[in-house]
Amino acid sequence: MLPADFAYARARSLDEALDLLDEAHAADQEAKLIAGGQSLLPMMKLRLAAPQVLIDIAGLPELRDGGWMRSAVGGAFSGSLGALSTYRQLSRNPLLVGGLLRSRNENVQPHHAAGIPAITDVLAVLADPQVRARGTIGGAVAHGDPASDLPAVLLALNAEVTIAGRPGRHEHKQSPLRHIPRRPRPDKRPRPDAKPSNVAKQTMYLDDFLQGIYTTDLAEDEIITRIGITAPGGRASAYEKFPHPASHLPLAGVAVVLTFKGGTYTDEAGRVTDLADGSIAQAAIAVTGISPRPYRARAAEAVLAGAFPTPETLAAAAAQVTVASPGSADQVSLLGDQHASAGYRAHLAEVLTRRALTKAIARGGRSS
Amino acid sequence: MPAAREVPVQLTVNGVRRAATVPARTLLVHFLRDQLGLTGTHVGCDTTQCGACTVALDGTAVKSCTVLAAQADGHAVITIEGLASPENGTLHPVQQAFQDEHGLQCGYCTPGMVMAIRQLIEDHPDPTEEQVRHALDGNICRCTGYQNIVAAAMSAAQVMAEALSAANEREG
Repeated sequence: MLPADFAYARARSLDEALDLLDEAHAADQEAKLIAGGQSLLPMMKLRLAAPQVLIDIAGLPELRDGGWMRSAVGGAFSGSLGALSTYRQLSRNPLLVGGLLRSRNENVQPHHAAGIPAITDVLAVLADPQVRARGTIGGAVAHGDPASDLPAVLLALNAEVTIAGRPGRHEHKQSPLRHIPRRPRPDKRPRPDAKPSNVAKQTMYLDDFLQGIYTTDLAEDEIITRIGITAPGGRASAYEKFPHPASHLPLAGVAVVLTFKGGTYTDEAGRVTDLADGSIAQAAIAVTGISPRPYRARAAEAVLAGAFPTPETLAAAAAQVTVASPGSADQVSLLGDQHASAGYRAHLAEVLTRRALTKAIARGGRSS
Repeated sequence: MPAAREVPVQLTVNGVRRAATVPARTLLVHFLRDQLGLTGTHVGCDTTQCGACTVALDGTAVKSCTVLAAQADGHAVITIEGLASPENGTLHPVQQAFQDEHGLQCGYCTPGMVMAIRQLIEDHPDPTEEQVRHALDGNICRCTGYQNIVAAAMSAAQVMAEALSAANEREG
């Protein structure tokens, strides 16, 4: 089974990739970017997609690697991941899944990273090992699939998407925070022959980026370069899904990231007193597979904010997981198909929310 | 590089440099089978589910029905034909374990299974049965019920670990 005929070009730089997009559009041709191709190629074989031009961005240096910044507060950090990071690479990144973390800076001692259990969870149940070796985080986000696993976890981690395009063409609703703020580097003067950059980057929340079924805020002449996440620290997170038995896609999936109230008091003699009160400071709950786009369940989150976790409070929060907004009587838009009705998916989401909350709490970790 | 319908592809397959110009839409599995005659890599479902087309791309198991030949340009591929010893044909321990444990019946899924298990043992040299079953998530077998495939994976891992420790002892 072959995709419909297309022309292929390999971009060597972000600038060239944007040029290739413009060239295709100027010739009135539909162009698609390909990195891992694990969603795009199956769609092309089925003629659900038939781009006339395919631009391979797998070699772009600007979309590789990542950076991270540790916060002063117990294990919290902000991280930026190159859009080309494969699921397999993510599952081997100690910052994300836990393990010994070495810095490129020789003066920084290696230390143990706690990881983000929700990320470990999702990477173990997403597609299969061979697909995870090729599929990329940028592709997962750009695809806008209503039933994809990773975006749910990213949403719960307040992920941001960095988009590159030509200056002045598109205005995105930019996020107020920027990851890895650039420190001024007085020692590094711009080269006198350096051309002014013709690439503009904007960073926006994933929550603003995702719009509907296979629909995002990415314009057809733009490219995702990186994904930023903010991990609150601690191990109180989980991803639970109910997979379709053949496709492994989530009929419903729920990601949960919790932080707890508490802290420590250190007296003059250096004695540390644990001040944890055990109630939930903040709950982030994201749901996928049941709605036109993965969404944050703000009504359920509101039930948990400040609450002491008990089976009853968790159940009360889960019961609100398909409610559109706190205090609203409306439901989020629900999807059903031949595999599972909208009502069944909503039921699954409630059960999975309870399970994910229970698992996250059992993993524990006071974190604020 | 301007977009083109025919693309030059140069890659190393089982250690041998290969080059051809192919239609851009050529899939890696068809390049291997039709251009290079390496028909050990099978096309099963053709929809990224069954894993019969699994090969190692730069050392990592991938589904070659979901990779364009053009994407593999400049990279190294190992297929099932590249596993046995080129000198004397001695089977790779995973291949031998499939024979010993009766890990196949019709054999259609076997090349993909072997390539997936090769990757598993590289990632987890001492796998649990659960890890084996999890690692075979992307490979479908309609004959065996998987029991003997799992047994073959466990046995191959043990053989490879023993060979490694024997080699280490000789060196030490």
